[in-house]
Amino acid sequence: MKPTGFTDIIKKSPFGPIKAHMEVSLNSTKELINFLESAIDSDWDKARKSRETISDLENEADSLKAETRSLLTKSLFLAVPREDILDLIRLADDIPNTVKDISGLMIGRQMEIPSEISHSFLSFAKEASAIADAAGEAVDYIDELFQFSFGGNAATKMQELIEKLDILENKNDQSEINLRSELFAIEADLSPVNVMFLYNIINKIGELSDRSEQVGHRISLIASR
Amino acid sequence: METIILYGPYLLISGCIFGFFMAWGIGANDVANAMGTSVGARALTLAQAIFVACVFEFAGAYLAGGEVTSTIRKGIIDPSLLQDTPDLLVFGMLAALLAAGTWLLIASSKGWPVSTTHSIVGAIVGFAAVGISVDAVSWSKVGSIVSSWVVSPLMSGTIAFLIFLSVQKLILSTDKPFENAKKYVPGYMFLVGFVISMVTLLKGLKHIGLPLTFAESLTYSIAIGIVISLIGSYFLRKIEDTSQTRGDVVFDGVEKVFAVLMVFTACAMAFAHGSNDVANAVGPLAAIASVVQSGGEIAAKSAMPWWILLLGAGGIVAGLATLGYKVIETVGRNITELTPSRGFAAELAAATTVVLASGTGLPISTTHTLVGAVLGVGLARGIAAIDFSVVGRIIVSWVVTLPVGAGLSIIFFFVLKSIFS
Repeated sequence: MKPTGFTDIIKKSPFGPIKAHMEVSLNSTKELINFLESAIDSDWDKARKSRETISDLENEADSLKAETRSLLTKSLFLAVPREDILDLIRLADDIPNTVKDISGLMIGRQMEIPSEISHSFLSFAKEASAIADAAGEAVDYIDELFQFSFGGNAATKMQELIEKLDILENKNDQSEINLRSELFAIEADLSPVNVMFLYNIINKIGELSDRSEQVGHRISLIASR
Repeated sequence: METIILYGPYLLISGCIFGFFMAWGIGANDVANAMGTSVGARALTLAQAIFVACVFEFAGAYLAGGEVTSTIRKGIIDPSLLQDTPDLLVFGMLAALLAAGTWLLIASSKGWPVSTTHSIVGAIVGFAAVGISVDAVSWSKVGSIVSSWVVSPLMSGTIAFLIFLSVQKLILSTDKPFENAKKYVPGYMFLVGFVISMVTLLKGLKHIGLPLTFAESLTYSIAIGIVISLIGSYFLRKIEDTSQTRGDVVFDGVEKVFAVLMVFTACAMAFAHGSNDVANAVGPLAAIASVVQSGGEIAAKSAMPWWILLLGAGGIVAGLATLGYKVIETVGRNITELTPSRGFAAELAAATTVVLASGTGLPISTTHTLVGAVLGVGLARGIAAIDFSVVGRIIVSWVVTLPVGAGLSIIFFFVLKSIFS
């Protein structure tokens, strides 16, 4: 005998795959730091390996994104608005994509980071990775939020996480400005094409932290309803 | 009349076999929906769930199952209209049992969410309206039964919504959910004990020699509620706050408190299920027994022989022991998203609604009442994702069950009639 269909009304929560997706994204931002370190050392073999890992992680993130979407069929009634979840996963999926873009661009051109800015460059990227971590913490909290019905302690903790995220992001914006001016100071000595691409990479790393911040804000929006 | 005297014992024995089979089917399949929620939330282990189900299904059937049984037996068709043809009533009730049993067997082998209640009511209405006469059916009673099928999920949904809302306000959305859980959960435990015993006692326990007045019932119910919340508090004291440790979110401190509460609501649910659904098997049997034992007299006023309820309760336990435990396990595995704080709200709401219906003598579907309750918790944003297309499928299956049950029972009725006359 089969159970008579009653249990089917309760569907798997979409939060699980969202958390799994975020974990994969964080692995990819961590790998990006390894990649950048190798690139700064001009160790392109090692960088290529990191690049492969990043590419695999991006594929994994894509399939998790697809899994989350497949859980969100139209007939579902969700504790959290459907559009918010779809938006969240779309924003979060930009993280591994951007990481893949950065590593792809750099490896394709075997981009050297000028030694004058390499320190600031790396710390700027590390900050971006830390912001992604903070966003990841917020995503990780979504279960607790749901368990406590989006109120009480869980909501307070979530707001604290978001404030922390905002502070990190502001600091990162300042770092970006500093890094750009450092690059500006030496750009006359570099090949114009290289400089153009360096600005491009800096932009993309900045995008990475923007996305992470948006992920965090989307979660706090979900939490505040 | 001669048929009854000639074949009486055989008819009664067939009735017992069919009734037991039907009860067995309820135990094997239907109970799983009532108990699976608790197993899924890991408030009970499988073995504990079987034990709770055996004890409380039995208690519910025996203590509070009389009213619904009497509706099935003599509420849907008025036996006094069949004064001259008691054999038709016997054939019809046998046919109804066979029809409902067959349909349930088919449906549960396919995993369709049909209800035993709807099958048996459809079957009785079917043979009576077509096999005897349209006037033999007490349509006003049937009308109130059918409307109770619409009202019961709505009612349990509303109750579940309100219970879960109170849990949010009093416990979950506060700064100290764990402390508040320990403070308020005994109150919910009191509610479980009070509501279930109040409804049961109000209907009276005359058949076991305990006639009570309203005041007595109220006093005893309050006493039972207090005893239950004291027992619960004792178990709650042992639970420590582990909500600080991240990780297995589902089983942190607060949910552990609710898991204790859910043991009580599981008992209530099994009791409620026993009080309502056992009648689907034993109601028709009771009708057959009263005709056969009186040698062909249709004595509408005769008391129901209580061994019949025992037979039904025994059948449920047998079904549980042979197949039910497997189905409970499957249901439990499929329903892990329903944590104790949500599961108890659904169970308490469903149990309350079902016991109320039992007290009024209305045969309702426990499963559909539970579906309503789960939806209620979902609307209070307690469940991450609820599939409305499945709800639609359940509604379709309950509508389809009525004509199918009726059709099958009409066929069996004419077959039986031609065999014996």
